[in-house]
Amino acid sequence: MQEFVDRALDYAAGKSRFAEVRFFSSTRNAVLMKNGSVSASGYSVDAGLSFRVLNRSMAFSAINIPDWERIRSEIDRALRISEKPGRGDFSSEEPVKDKWEVGQKRRIEEETFEDRIERVKELDNLLVDKKVQMRMISLSDNIEEELNANSEGMEITSRLPKVGLFAMIGLLENGTFEQGSIEVGFSGGYEAFDTWKLDERFSHEAEVLRNAVNSKKIEEGVYDVIAGPEISGIVAHESAGHPTESDRILGREMAQAGESFIKRGDKGRRVGSSIVNLVDDPTMEHSFGYYKYDRDGVRARKRYLYKQGIINEFLSNRESAGRLGEMSNAASRSSEWDKEPLVRMSTTFIEPGDHNLDELLEGIKEGIYIKSFTEWNIDDIRFNEKYVGREAYRIRNGEIKEVIRRPVIETTTINFYSSIDAVGKDLEFSAGTCGKGDPMQGVDVWMGGPHIRLRNMSVR
Amino acid sequence: MDAERIYGKLERKVDQAAVKVTRSNITQVRFSNNKIDITNTWDEESASVFLAKNGRTFVFELRYEEDLERILAKALGTLEKIEKNPDFISLNDKKNTFRKKSIKGKKLMEIDGPTFVEDFIDGIRPFVKRAGGVFYKRDVEEWVKTPFNSGSERLFGVELVARTFNDSDYPVQTSIATSSDDDFDKVMSQDKELLELSRNIRNIKEGREGKFNVIFSPLCFASIVSYTVPMASAFQVDMGMSVFADRMGERLGSSSLTIYDDPTDETMFNSKTFDDEGSPTRKTPVIERGIVRSYLHNFSTASKYKTETTGNAGIVSPLPWQIAVEPGNEDVQDMIASMKSGLFINNTWYTRFQDYREGIFSTIPRDGIFYIENGEIKESWMGIRISDSLPHIYRNIEGISRETKKVKWWDETMHTKSPYVEVADVNISRSR
Repeated sequence: MQEFVDRALDYAAGKSRFAEVRFFSSTRNAVLMKNGSVSASGYSVDAGLSFRVLNRSMAFSAINIPDWERIRSEIDRALRISEKPGRGDFSSEEPVKDKWEVGQKRRIEEETFEDRIERVKELDNLLVDKKVQMRMISLSDNIEEELNANSEGMEITSRLPKVGLFAMIGLLENGTFEQGSIEVGFSGGYEAFDTWKLDERFSHEAEVLRNAVNSKKIEEGVYDVIAGPEISGIVAHESAGHPTESDRILGREMAQAGESFIKRGDKGRRVGSSIVNLVDDPTMEHSFGYYKYDRDGVRARKRYLYKQGIINEFLSNRESAGRLGEMSNAASRSSEWDKEPLVRMSTTFIEPGDHNLDELLEGIKEGIYIKSFTEWNIDDIRFNEKYVGREAYRIRNGEIKEVIRRPVIETTTINFYSSIDAVGKDLEFSAGTCGKGDPMQGVDVWMGGPHIRLRNMSVR
Repeated sequence: MDAERIYGKLERKVDQAAVKVTRSNITQVRFSNNKIDITNTWDEESASVFLAKNGRTFVFELRYEEDLERILAKALGTLEKIEKNPDFISLNDKKNTFRKKSIKGKKLMEIDGPTFVEDFIDGIRPFVKRAGGVFYKRDVEEWVKTPFNSGSERLFGVELVARTFNDSDYPVQTSIATSSDDDFDKVMSQDKELLELSRNIRNIKEGREGKFNVIFSPLCFASIVSYTVPMASAFQVDMGMSVFADRMGERLGSSSLTIYDDPTDETMFNSKTFDDEGSPTRKTPVIERGIVRSYLHNFSTASKYKTETTGNAGIVSPLPWQIAVEPGNEDVQDMIASMKSGLFINNTWYTRFQDYREGIFSTIPRDGIFYIENGEIKESWMGIRISDSLPHIYRNIEGISRETKKVKWWDETMHTKSPYVEVADVNISRSR
């Protein structure tokens, strides 16, 4: 299909005010182990041609039939549709010609299925030793290759290898059940395993579940809270990343994931204490959501979403930036070759501060320490949110004490960020798949942050 | 791509193989704030291939038939080396016949997506501040070939999801999904349904915590069962992290609750006559009169559980096709009129579980949360959450309507036919 890119672009460009043609291929390997059995080993090459044409409105089309007449007919259909009324905004950007790729130390191409199964089996054995009965581990890798060109002269080729692992585990003891998950992701090759410390994480997670089944709920009340990096990360993603997506602010997702409590004119509005800085940065080396150029061909850069507690910048692509009368800040991503590019996060995190954990604890008389979460959700304007602790402890007089079971915080975005009075200097990331769009597009992201301290939070 | 041709290149190289070819032609129109944002079209084909040899299994996806030799060589090499898959017993080894399916959707097929959406927006614009949504027209053909069976069928349907906001920016939402011309008028009258919902908006305020009787709309109840029925997959049950695990034959709901996986309803898009390994599909009661009656099986999981396949392959993991909740005999207007104090909830999203085995979850109501007092809607709420468990909700069902609706919304709600359902003492929480 790649050989049709130039021809398709020439054809579409002559009949539209903007045309873009993209060949995109994902080569994936995956292994799935359930309770010790290899349930699936699989391979796929998912590739095809997609194009966007803009006249009175935008039309996107995807085809994987390697036949010029079929492709031309699909372009013609898109061109016809694009003559119907609709939105036609697109920011003006300098066209770039470039090639980029992320290197690998231990190449995905050289990893065998026996290697993959062995890696998963080692982790499963660790859980067996810890008497974790319910275990599902999935290891996958993916090489994304793209040729992206448009009628303004942009032409970018890229190669992006990725490795990811997800585990869901459950422990049943004396009739009490706890569940947990581990998710890691990396842009690069299988050297990812050197960075993940999975033996430690799996053993720890098993202990967390065992401790939790033998623990009790905390008495409902108001507590100071220390939230660990996993909590910082999910909060950053859900209540800073999503609400600053400009397509949501403009209503484009109104019938799906919804809109935002942030309105178009809200830059400069305070949403948190002055020590809170929220960042989204696609350029972070080896991050799961890494890219050098976004799908619109715009050079990626670090973005401050909230700066000193104030809304600073919206995430945008060329379409939403055009509607806002701004330049794009390169947040255009699509999960597969046949999905339209949308405004997406990459690596979203609370920027570290200057406290170590002991200093954060020092100031707390009665509190709780929530290191990780299980159930969570947030409303469709990204304002009312809930986090249920998975690994959590009581704090008394500055010391971490007994384990507590499933503490629940239900709060608002502004209350959460406004309650932060100290920010740790550590920084950790976890991986995730962010869902958005219709059809649903799951894109790889990192989310993270340091330990943070929140005052007077209602906990039940 | 051709399933028979691909199968022919595999059959002598492995013990068993299954090939599924899918060809899809889909148009989607997305609109927001009274304007079309984009029209997406897909013209695609793909093949899913399952191979088994000496107790080992491998799956691959193919987009281009010319890649087959290369990928097959890789797959066969891998099959020699990886360990056995004890979960795989066999593909369905009986020669099966499949029922004949007929799609009666001629009028629906003639709908032009962008024109339909333009007309929809023009029709509703005078009455609401803004409207957004998505229209789909899907036309899909599938072929399956195994050593024992082969079949082909067509899946067709249209879907409309629309959300409107009134002058106070309070939203309501509707959804309809059908493959039958019998529903043509309903598709064309979704604007009226939205306006009816919209007329209920009054006295907008933050909701309150507590235990409330709730009338769930078909869209909202469909969302909850869409998170329930996939957990009846024998794969999920076998893993242990399912509300159905260790509950076969036990009570999970009130005696008025029956939930089917029903691929035999040909008026719904995901109506299927055969599954991915060539087993005939059938209507399967997952919960019957409140009792857990059946898991969803493929041939291998059924063998393991010493039962028959329910025709739900997924060869790796069984999956539901489309859900039907058995209607009751109440009138929804009577349900509202006889409610002393409670809520009508029209939609929900972001359902997440803290405990899959006990079914403990929360979900966030939206698009019409109406507080009812003495049979009348008094307030429209925002900012609440249902924090409860599936068994508690299903056991507390007090009323089910005669009227049903076929819905499908985004990734939240599977193709489902559901009535209105009233549940007592639903736990409502909110931010503090």
